[in-house]
Amino acid sequence: MDSKYYETWEEYLAEHPELEGKPIKAIEPKVQKYEDAMFTFIMDLVL
Amino acid sequence: MTDAVAMTNERNQMFSDLFSGKTPKRVPVSNPATQDFAIQYAGLDLAECQWDLTKLEPVYDKFCQDFFTDTYPGGSIRLPSHYQILGSTPIVMSSSGFMQHPDVVGMLAEEYDEFIASPYDCIVETILPRLFTELNGAPGKVAMALAKAMRAQSDDLAYLGTIRAKMNAKYGFATMSAALTEAPFDFMADFLRSFKGISGDVRRHPDKIAAACEAVLPLMIKKGTLPNPSMLGYTFIPLHMAPYLRDKDFLTLYWPTFKKMVETLAGMGQTVQLFVEQDWMRYIDYLYELPENTIMRFEYGDAKVVKEKLGKKHIISGFYPVTLLQTGTKQQCVDKAKELLDILAPGGRYWWQADKSIINLEANGPVVENLRAVLEYVHENGAY
Amino acid sequence: MIDLKVLTQAVGDLDEQVILSLINEFVASNPSGEDAQMVVQACQQGMAIVGDLFEKNVYYVGDLIFAGDLLTQAINAIKPVLGGVGSQKVGSIVIGTVQGDLHDIGKNIFSSMAEAAGFEVYDLGIDVSPSAFVEKVKEVKPQIIGMSGVLTLAIDSMKKTVNALNEAGLRDSVKVIIGGNPVNEDACKQIGADSFTTNAAEGLKTCQGWVS
Repeated sequence: MDSKYYETWEEYLAEHPELEGKPIKAIEPKVQKYEDAMFTFIMDLVL
Repeated sequence: MTDAVAMTNERNQMFSDLFSGKTPKRVPVSNPATQDFAIQYAGLDLAECQWDLTKLEPVYDKFCQDFFTDTYPGGSIRLPSHYQILGSTPIVMSSSGFMQHPDVVGMLAEEYDEFIASPYDCIVETILPRLFTELNGAPGKVAMALAKAMRAQSDDLAYLGTIRAKMNAKYGFATMSAALTEAPFDFMADFLRSFKGISGDVRRHPDKIAAACEAVLPLMIKKGTLPNPSMLGYTFIPLHMAPYLRDKDFLTLYWPTFKKMVETLAGMGQTVQLFVEQDWMRYIDYLYELPENTIMRFEYGDAKVVKEKLGKKHIISGFYPVTLLQTGTKQQCVDKAKELLDILAPGGRYWWQADKSIINLEANGPVVENLRAVLEYVHENGAY
Repeated sequence: MIDLKVLTQAVGDLDEQVILSLINEFVASNPSGEDAQMVVQACQQGMAIVGDLFEKNVYYVGDLIFAGDLLTQAINAIKPVLGGVGSQKVGSIVIGTVQGDLHDIGKNIFSSMAEAAGFEVYDLGIDVSPSAFVEKVKEVKPQIIGMSGVLTLAIDSMKKTVNALNEAGLRDSVKVIIGGNPVNEDACKQIGADSFTTNAAEGLKTCQGWVS
């Protein structure tokens, strides 16, 4: 999905080099969870 | 309660069998009445109970106790709090306390190109601010409205979830998940172009409609994807606009992306349930083409023809007329249930659901007795 | 001089380009109010073709909605040259979606077709209370009242509205027609309406019968 308002984890990570060395395995699912939660919320407003 | 746990397991097995084309031990039955009905049944104020959810647990308890059902009742629910916070225009509560969808325009015809270039960008930047007044203003205020609304909806859903967990533990319902999405054409119509708008677009800009449907297809698929595709559950797709189109417009504008969406979801291992609203009888051969074991709940149509043409490949549901429950005698209602069982159950692939949801409880009418009788009847006599 | 037959057929064909170019050309020719009135009639005849094709399942509801839009555009374009020539109204209808219900697509289709057929239509909108219906009826004294609804609770609201008309002593001076998904013969009797329909074209015919 090509949008300013949605990032895949890879895109997010590329923009956040400060996360190197941090516990990515714990961070990734959490960050993506809220990205997807926002997607569901937004889409539910127009469904 | 181990009884409830055993019942949940049994019901989950019934639905797993049904969804994979096997024949369960009996016809599963689902109560078509909604949370709105349940609130009225409990004698409470409809609007108030949709705001103060603490009133709902006893509502659901009585509802579950008095009406037999294999699946958790209540239907699709839109609660007012986040809509109010956002200044919603497409979903509003009427004077009667029911949440409804007036025909409003979210996207103008001249905005098709913007949408096609990036649907999600267009939704966020153009469509939502038009439809939701609190999302149209100073950035700080918009950000706060969004945050409050998301929190309100999240809290509401979580609270309803706790009630559901309690009811499941007490009554042993099947534990199924659902994800909601729409056919791309319906998505373009419902909140974006409106019924009136898309009807004009079909004549004036059919190429833009087609391109918009293709552009939004990945979003519709993502929206309809369950957290774990193989889990017990389904993607729920209410079908809206097709009966209002000419055949040739259906073929070129509605069908291609709708078919692709269902095929993609089924290809992931997900079950798809279509709510085939209005009259699709002229499109029945198209429905046949969809992936095997697509659940099709019909509002209108000829049950015999549907069973004959679709019943060996797909899972048939619906047809039972809720208006009969509201106006008929108990015998007439039970006879109708028997009539449909006789047509649709033989050979399997049948799930008892009504033709639509029951949202209104007519206080002086027979609906309560009739509904109870029919649900019991199908439970006790629903053999394949 | 505009070819009225071509215009009528263009409306029947839902050919927006032809309709608008014919009308714009006509308006630019500085016509008389009487000639403009004949153009309006030609459009109305075209709408009758549309209604016919709908009954034959050549056109569907989406086409009726588009037709309503085209007619509105056409009439708006002609209005400046209609002058003081009032069109003969065949009757008047007060219409609305009843209390508690927010759905209006069917009502709007019916309104367009009724206007096209020469009725004066007073549209009260959605979620209309019984008293709002009564007030409007007192004000404009229509021949017909149309009530629309999609939810089954609309039946109850329709009943309340007819009761309100009775109480105001107005029921006998009007015909009442109900429309929408939940309406049928039983509902019609319960409500005390004169007729019911789930088909805009059919409903229009009933209304035309009442005023002829």
